[in-house]
Amino acid sequence: MNVQRWVVRVGVLLVLVALPRMIYPILAVDILTWGLFALAFDLVFGYAGLLSFGHAMFWGTSGYVTANVLLRTGLPVPVAILAGTIAALVLALPTGYLSIRSAGIYFSMITLAFAQMVDFIARQADRFTGGDNGLPGIPRPPLGPIQFDNPLHLYYFTLALAALGYLIAARATESPFGQALRAIRDNRVRAQSVGYNPRVQMLVAFVISAGLSGLAGGLHTVGHGVVSLDAVNWTTSGIVVMMTLLGGTGTLLGPLVGATLVLLLQDALAFSTSASGVVTGAVFALTVLFFRRGVVGTLLALDLRRRTGERLIGPAK
Amino acid sequence: MTLLFIQVFNGLVNGAFYALLSLGLAVIFGMLRIVNFAHGALYMLGAFTTYALGERFGLGFWTSLAIAPLAVGLFGMLLERTMIRRLYDLPASYNLLLTFGLTLVIQDGVRLIYGISGQPYAPPPQLAGATNLGFIVFPTFRLFAIGISVVVCSLTWFIIERTRVGAVIRACTENPTITRAFGIDVSLWVTAVFGFGSALAGLAGVLAAPIYSVDPLMGSELIITTFAVVVIGGLGSILGSVITGYAVGVLVAIGSALYPPIANTLIFILMALVLLLRPSGLFGLQEAR
Amino acid sequence: MTMRSAAALCVLLAAGSAGAQYSAGGIKIGLLTDMNGVYSAISGPGSQKAAEMAADDFMKANKELAGKVTVIAVDHQNKADIASNKASEMYDRLDVDAIFDTVNSACALATAAVAGQKKKVFIDTGAGTSELTNEKCNKFTFHYAYDNYMLANGTGTTITKQGLKTWYMIYPNYAFGQNLERQMRAAVEKNGGKLAAPSEATPFPNTDFSSYLLKAQSLKPQVFGTMQAGADLVNVVKQYNEFGLKKQNIGLAIGLLFESDVAALGQDAFQGAIATVPWFWNLDKAATDWSAKFEKVAGKKPTFDQAAVYSAVTQYLEAVKRAKTDEGDKVVAQLEGHKFNDFFAHNGQIRKEDHRTILDVYQVQVKPKAEAKADGDYYKEINKTPAEQAFTPLSESKCKMAQ
Repeated sequence: MNVQRWVVRVGVLLVLVALPRMIYPILAVDILTWGLFALAFDLVFGYAGLLSFGHAMFWGTSGYVTANVLLRTGLPVPVAILAGTIAALVLALPTGYLSIRSAGIYFSMITLAFAQMVDFIARQADRFTGGDNGLPGIPRPPLGPIQFDNPLHLYYFTLALAALGYLIAARATESPFGQALRAIRDNRVRAQSVGYNPRVQMLVAFVISAGLSGLAGGLHTVGHGVVSLDAVNWTTSGIVVMMTLLGGTGTLLGPLVGATLVLLLQDALAFSTSASGVVTGAVFALTVLFFRRGVVGTLLALDLRRRTGERLIGPAK
Repeated sequence: MTLLFIQVFNGLVNGAFYALLSLGLAVIFGMLRIVNFAHGALYMLGAFTTYALGERFGLGFWTSLAIAPLAVGLFGMLLERTMIRRLYDLPASYNLLLTFGLTLVIQDGVRLIYGISGQPYAPPPQLAGATNLGFIVFPTFRLFAIGISVVVCSLTWFIIERTRVGAVIRACTENPTITRAFGIDVSLWVTAVFGFGSALAGLAGVLAAPIYSVDPLMGSELIITTFAVVVIGGLGSILGSVITGYAVGVLVAIGSALYPPIANTLIFILMALVLLLRPSGLFGLQEAR
Repeated sequence: MTMRSAAALCVLLAAGSAGAQYSAGGIKIGLLTDMNGVYSAISGPGSQKAAEMAADDFMKANKELAGKVTVIAVDHQNKADIASNKASEMYDRLDVDAIFDTVNSACALATAAVAGQKKKVFIDTGAGTSELTNEKCNKFTFHYAYDNYMLANGTGTTITKQGLKTWYMIYPNYAFGQNLERQMRAAVEKNGGKLAAPSEATPFPNTDFSSYLLKAQSLKPQVFGTMQAGADLVNVVKQYNEFGLKKQNIGLAIGLLFESDVAALGQDAFQGAIATVPWFWNLDKAATDWSAKFEKVAGKKPTFDQAAVYSAVTQYLEAVKRAKTDEGDKVVAQLEGHKFNDFFAHNGQIRKEDHRTILDVYQVQVKPKAEAKADGDYYKEINKTPAEQAFTPLSESKCKMAQ
């Protein structure tokens, strides 16, 4: 099983390395950044069972901090991204601590509330965020031989950092910590009775998730050279949920697959003049109704059946 | 001081809309625990049905007031029967996501038919113009809207809290298994209640058509505010949602007067505070954990 | 020499004699705008039709370029990061030579940055932010049709000069609204007017404006100014009528008004309101004739943004013809300083210093339906502001190129 898993991972990595030759490189960068963001979101949703409706606050805060570091100081790009990630982590501590106290739909509502407050601050602090105009034309000074204006350089730089993010997520979910999370998700009371402390574990998961969202947000801002209020809008949080669901929650590659599908769909719709909302909404609704396991989840279930003859019963994980 | 009083009074009018919308959501979300994100889209459909009845069939406001909520209620029941009920066994998040997708489809569908700009709609002649209340000269239609809102909210509260019908509904949501054992068709009741909640959203839409722009996105910003109101009021409490609706209307009006940028965010700050300090809501009965 | 090589030589000579060097795919016009969202009525598919019309008409008038001009339309969904992506993709992968429209200020600014970086032309018609020709100007970005200064200065000056001197204004609390209010207030005060009370910021977006209208009722200014746009504006005007402000002789000044806004409520609701527009479909005979052609192709009357797209694409193509190439900086050199007159821009000039296109603009008043001579006949011209006075004077420009 371990060998198979690593074969799949290496395979995916090879595809990703070749990706910019197959599609427009900037779109490929988007696939990586949104894919990482969706993975980060899924740490909390798929593994800890909490639907956060406010993850845009980490992605966006990091984006704005990254942008400001690049615009106002001459510091190198990785430093700016690091600053953004740290900002997201800092934001995660109080918001996570307060949100974790609630469960289920209340958790979603409170994360939404915090995200709306961040949105409000972003709107008001227009000296740092550009308000409704956003911050366009962010400079990206070269890092040694890496020229960020060159789409291929940008892509491979992003791939390296996104892979790092993926490894962190993999480590978190496949460790005993990850198992504890799953136990808490499936039955919080029982998990507590065997000695896990749900609050602490979930807060840790939340913070890691926020940090990776921040990393993704910083990479996204660098990749586009622009950040705007969309980054903190609640619909951004919604898009990442859709990506995760479509690709398969509770899997490591699912969010990436979901992000790819959604971005390719959006890309195709960009060249049409009509009905994009109907198509997007229908894809979403149909996925939730009939395809909850998502692409990767369905593949895993088929694989399980093939190997063991077992069927995965009960609600999709 | 008079200006403040005027703002408060005006806030009550807005509160009437929040209350009516939240009432529908309180019934669906609070009682059935269905996270119906499409509630705002149903409100919009109520307004557009009113417009279409006038434009296509020449039917006036009063007829629309009777027909449109029924139409939206039926549509809601259709959604519930065909799609939403499939997800009851799953965590509430899934219905949130499904109804989020449905919202996109409904809004964009209306946009494809009617365009993104608004459609004109005027108050009926009997309610046009303004009434002099002494301290303020206020549009008559808005007074009518407050009136309808108070009546409908009171009636709904009474039905649910004080009649046998309400007792059955509450039994269905609190303990479906035992209720079924009494020979009550729970799933039929759930559909009916969902339809009723949808009809309330549609009614709010009818009342909105003469005062607010009738466009496909008119419900989209309203929906998260409405959720916030229901959460603050407390899930399971009809009275809580209604009172919170009015209170929020007044608070937002005062906020707009003192510091406008905060108006849209105030309610989320309130919601966060309530969830942290009193998770079951101001009037809620259940624990939020 | 063989027949084939003779033929080849003829083709080469023919191309050579035109002296023109166009990129391999010909001249590609890109339209990057909101196709499905809140601005789709102002711009959207209508702008695409306008661009295609302009390309077709240009090719008909310049037979040697037949088949060489194409139009690609892309939806930016009102998101700045998508706009930036799509602009890059259009310039790089799709060989687009110039991008047009991009309604939505954040998207326009993002596209301008990309255009400056890739050294390809960007002509914005739909977004209003003056920053495009001030702080964020660059060599390849041009601003066409309107901006905040033009709107506010024109309307504020005209109404105050008419003798309506006490004002009360509301504005949406974001960059565009704040800017518009500031400019309008400056214009009012410069002409001897004054505010009955400080202007109020409203939440953005917002549906209910009753508290501000009630305040206006108690203040009784001569003019109620609203800087709201789009759906917010429709709600303001709907409620302005609901609260009977017109009956109390409180006039309505609108910062940014589009034809689709008037259609949303019917012109009687907007009757008497005054705004500044660069153009409207029945401004004069040339406009009416063009609009009839547009309506045949697009199915409805044009907004001024769509007319601006046609005009801008035509001017761009003419500049390409003069430059004999579609290379960015050579076309820019032909656009800068160019003076022209067409059905859209009277006394038009593309200023070299800040790439602001100036043109005569008009203060209009919405007429009641009873006076309308045709469907969509909304406006009555009450004043004309000549091009030189309508836009930010160069002395006040914050554009680096103008220093």
